Amino acid sequence: MSTEPYKNVYLLPQTNQLLGLYSIIRDKSTARPDFIFYSDRIIRLLVEEGLNHLPVTRKNVDTHTNEVFRGVAFKGKICGVSIVRAGESMEQGLRDCCRSVRIGKILIQRDEETALPKLFYEKLPEDIEDRYVFLLDPMLATGGSAIMATDVLIKRGVKPERIYFLNLICSKEGIDKYHAAFPDVKIVTGALDRGLNEQKYLVPGLGDFGDRYYCI
Amino acid sequence: MVVAEGKGDTTTSHGSPMEQQNSYRPPWTTPYIIGVGGTSGSGKTSVASKIVSSIDVPWTVLISLDNFYKPLDKRDRELAFNNNYDFDEPNAIDLDLAYRCISDLKNGKKAQLPVYSFVNHNRVPGKSITIYGATVIVLEGIYALYDKRLLDLMDLKVYVDADLDVCLARRLSRDIVSRGRDMDGCIRQWQRFVKPNAVKYVKPTMQFADAIIPSINDNRVAVQLLINHINSKLEIKSEQHIRKLVKLGYSDSKPIRDHEKVHELEPTNQVQAIKTMLVTKDLSRDDFIFYFDRMAMILLSNVLNNVSYRNDYELVTPEGIKMENMTTIDFDKIAAINIIRSGDCFVSSLRKTIPNIAIGKVLIQSDSHSGEPQLHCEFLPPNIAENYTKIILTQGQIISGAAMIMAIQVLLDHDVTFDKIIVMVHLATEKGIRRILNAFQNKVDIFIGILVDNKNLKYNKWATTRFIDSNYFGCP
Repeated sequence: MSTEPYKNVYLLPQTNQLLGLYSIIRDKSTARPDFIFYSDRIIRLLVEEGLNHLPVTRKNVDTHTNEVFRGVAFKGKICGVSIVRAGESMEQGLRDCCRSVRIGKILIQRDEETALPKLFYEKLPEDIEDRYVFLLDPMLATGGSAIMATDVLIKRGVKPERIYFLNLICSKEGIDKYHAAFPDVKIVTGALDRGLNEQKYLVPGLGDFGDRYYCI
Repeated sequence: MVVAEGKGDTTTSHGSPMEQQNSYRPPWTTPYIIGVGGTSGSGKTSVASKIVSSIDVPWTVLISLDNFYKPLDKRDRELAFNNNYDFDEPNAIDLDLAYRCISDLKNGKKAQLPVYSFVNHNRVPGKSITIYGATVIVLEGIYALYDKRLLDLMDLKVYVDADLDVCLARRLSRDIVSRGRDMDGCIRQWQRFVKPNAVKYVKPTMQFADAIIPSINDNRVAVQLLINHINSKLEIKSEQHIRKLVKLGYSDSKPIRDHEKVHELEPTNQVQAIKTMLVTKDLSRDDFIFYFDRMAMILLSNVLNNVSYRNDYELVTPEGIKMENMTTIDFDKIAAINIIRSGDCFVSSLRKTIPNIAIGKVLIQSDSHSGEPQLHCEFLPPNIAENYTKIILTQGQIISGAAMIMAIQVLLDHDVTFDKIIVMVHLATEKGIRRILNAFQNKVDIFIGILVDNKNLKYNKWATTRFIDSNYFGCP
């Protein structure tokens, strides 16, 4: 179970295995195949942790020995929403746990004129207001684009307490700013970093996640 | 043959056993050793082969003392090529080495037998026969009953007796017809070496024999009597083995979940829901495989939280921050051994977690007649004791625990220490887990996906039927 340094922040148990995985992806000398593989492993753990917060309902089933097994079943529909491009790296991890999950996309980029984040594109499931939403973006630095994306979801009728924001690393600044806007959204993360540098990058960080996962 | 775990035991406990009874000796640490001696041409080889083919026990091995001929130096080799070397005296055979090999096997260890080439009159360099896990060993050779130390290791000593003229007739027909040798050479060899040694050294070993088999044209009755005797002895051994295994399943007062070596997956919402899916009757195979793999990944991740790590990794992040004393895990120091077949259900999740993990296999099945689990084969990564710091033994389902106990013993026999062994099992009964704990004095960590305790077993019979691997692979 997660420790809770802040309300509504669920930090994965800091096991030696998890720390070992982070050592690999933080290291700038790690080549892309390894970066992808070990990021995917962390993503899988984040998804499993997120899914564990979803409610279940009692369900009795018959076993092959014709006994009644008192078990539970998943309750409620879910969907994923990834923030293009880095967030898309987390889609497969979600699919590995929920095979036919619907996945919406949001593209947010910095407006060259105003230097503020601007929404360029959104495609979301039509019944998204009935669903639990896993918002996917690997880094929570300043929180600018995550706040804008969450705003889009809420305007579409999604309840804040049904949103789970999954990321690999976040900063205290980012959490504070994000939770100031949406205190009820649950953040599921694997690492809390010291802070941001002048360029607003997470430190120690792991570089530009999208670049390392897709390009360099 | 059926899979070893299939036979659930029905014994109930009668009080707790004494601590010293809690240990396990697999059948191969007490192999049944049969020596078959007799003069050259007496027909001992055919008697030995008949024994091997007639006793229905896997891992019955026939070892010929011919393997242990001493390598010859240059001078002796020349003598040998001219039929002037005495191969028939006891000294020609390396009985010390033979003793060491048989003694290792008697202690359940692996033994390497040399291979001797009669063409070169030397041991074949770099070649050896590896024997491990034998339950019955038949040692055959003219001097099988000669060495006191070997005799002490044997459970049954058989001498095949034939008149020397019969032996000569057999040798002549064998050497001349089958091997194309000339009559004169054969007769000379007989008179110079074979016969004198037979009289002086071989014949007297008859006194050590428990049974003397006549080598007449039809010795079927005598051989059959012998085989009946061996089979009855093996049956007693196998019954003792099964009784021992049953005994190991007795409970102590401590609840199974309180054992510090027992690690059951935390019953989170997801784990509970997946478990419900997996026990549902007539679940499609697609779904079964998918949910099994999901649970396997969670379980494996739990196991990997308990492997060794170092805190000496230094790295620089792309932002130029230097980080020291970081945690690192040597994933290449972890190996897995799957117990065929249900352990193979974990292959896909193992590969998704550690892509290049070395995966060994062991096949353990129970005899269809007696139900005794028997080791059929083992393929382990080379130098398993030195090359790995953790070895994960996997099995889809543990019912009686017998196969897992044997698999652990196989690792111990290969010098793997307890602290390196982790058992990972998807579904297990309390009795099976207790048996493993008791057999190895609570020294092995066991990670379990779903544990059904004794109290709940009577409402959860599905846990004592074998279904995990048949559902996963789609064949019964």
